[in-house]
Amino acid sequence: MISVQKLSYVYSPKTPFSKQALFDMELTIENGDFFGIIGSTGAGKSTLVSHFNALTRIQKNSGTIFVDDMDLSAKKLDLKKLRAKVGMVFQYPEYQLFDDTVVKDVMFGPRNLGLPPDEQKARAKEAIELVGLDYDAIAERSPFELSGGQKRRVALAGVIAMRPEILVLDEPTAGIDPVGKRDIMRLVQDIKKVCPTVVMISHNMDEIATYCNKIAVLDHGRVKGVFTPRELFGSRELIEQCGVELPLVTELAVKLNEAGVAVDGSIIDEDELVSAILGAVENA
Amino acid sequence: MPFLHFENVDYSYPSGEGDYIRALIGVDLEVERGEFVALVGCNGSGKSTFARLSDGLLLPDGGKVTVDGMSTADKGSLYDIRRKIGVVFQNPDNQNVTTIVEDDVAFGPENLGLPPAEIRERVDWALNAVGMSEYAGSNPARLSGGQKQRVAIAGVLALKPELMILDEATGMLDPEGRREVLDVVTRLNRETGMAVIMITHFMEEAAAADRIVILRHGKTVADGGRELFMTPEVFTDAGLDLPVTVRIAGKLAAAGVDIGTPLSADEFAAAVAALKRGGKP
Repeated sequence: MISVQKLSYVYSPKTPFSKQALFDMELTIENGDFFGIIGSTGAGKSTLVSHFNALTRIQKNSGTIFVDDMDLSAKKLDLKKLRAKVGMVFQYPEYQLFDDTVVKDVMFGPRNLGLPPDEQKARAKEAIELVGLDYDAIAERSPFELSGGQKRRVALAGVIAMRPEILVLDEPTAGIDPVGKRDIMRLVQDIKKVCPTVVMISHNMDEIATYCNKIAVLDHGRVKGVFTPRELFGSRELIEQCGVELPLVTELAVKLNEAGVAVDGSIIDEDELVSAILGAVENA
Repeated sequence: MPFLHFENVDYSYPSGEGDYIRALIGVDLEVERGEFVALVGCNGSGKSTFARLSDGLLLPDGGKVTVDGMSTADKGSLYDIRRKIGVVFQNPDNQNVTTIVEDDVAFGPENLGLPPAEIRERVDWALNAVGMSEYAGSNPARLSGGQKQRVAIAGVLALKPELMILDEATGMLDPEGRREVLDVVTRLNRETGMAVIMITHFMEEAAAADRIVILRHGKTVADGGRELFMTPEVFTDAGLDLPVTVRIAGKLAAAGVDIGTPLSADEFAAAVAALKRGGKP
């Protein structure tokens, strides 16, 4: 569980460039959640999640975060324990690959956890297979020769190999083609079976609506609210208040209503919309 | 004479272990002044290689690339070619070069040796065009990814190129940022006649272009206007999605309800509404 309590954050405090990025943020991510975080650029999404594994340390008198029973504002924080628990996959994680073979790259995390070499390798193998890559074919290759999609999988494997309990993904499908996007999301669902809590930042409202059970809307460093997909995307008021984009399917449902075709305006699923249209047309 | 001309262009790059990947195979393509072309294809189809060959960052192994009649293989022409073609890449972190936004945008015009007043004017115009005027004095490193990318686009705009190639330049932006960029380039295309090649995965962006070129395994497999969407296989075979409106229209057609091939939400709603009214005016 992650509990964010009155969290604030200021970049370059006490300088002329000081800029407050987070304002008294409050939210709770329960175990088992597929928790979406949305908001336009500059809303504070990445700044917020970079606190979850203490990459960004909580400033003095700026609230706190609890990850289970660990108080992240504590002076003496067991970073190793925290980072084993919270796995962080940044935007474009393939830029962080560095070692000369795939297996060594993926073993980096387990090695830092101080695990014995056999265990490091076993973890790496498990993780590489979990991300849908053929271990024997790829383990000894250079990560830099792989395709973009493969690189991203290797980068994901590097985090999975730490066996985190909470996985934080910052725009996991950015820059990947549509088929690759679906593959990655399918993969995330597989990973969720072994790492039950997933936090995902995304600009892709279709992904957010399809996969997340809760969605936090951020705006200029504040939490506007936490909603279920139906609550959020079904309420025009909330959508306008929060400045949120609609999933493509929901946008069509809204346009249909405006054009005089009455369908449920909170539909997220494509097939559901097809059925609704068929119903509306046949009842005409 | 076409403005940008690919004649039977081949390009391969090494993939380690002595192998080569053929990124482009016999590509023929002509882009005229003022055109708005979407270049689509899945990862690894050769799109970025195309962009890099266009302004001579890469040179073809076979065939020829010419810009306004000048070959990219002619070293003496590269300076002129790069004044005519501006490329915006995907990752803005590799494109911002200074610590102040307006200096970054001024970098190109300064290198052209333009008079200061003209540079000032171009910088202000370009920043305004991408909606970043209020950040003129900010440090690019402190901007969000989307904002950085708009600065990178402004930097290219300030050179007033005749052709702007956006190599998945909206890939890192949020939906609002993406629409802003699409609006900006569409407007510049209409108002200034600047040609645009938009390399993208977003089929909704591709549907907004006048012309769509599909690349698959280094070859052009389709080239046409919106009528391409009437044969969805050309997209799906190339590993691409269809715009959601086309996808749903297909499912409705399978259920015996024909609404044609709407490419925008408005067209879609209008087509369904017309059907509901039983085709009556």
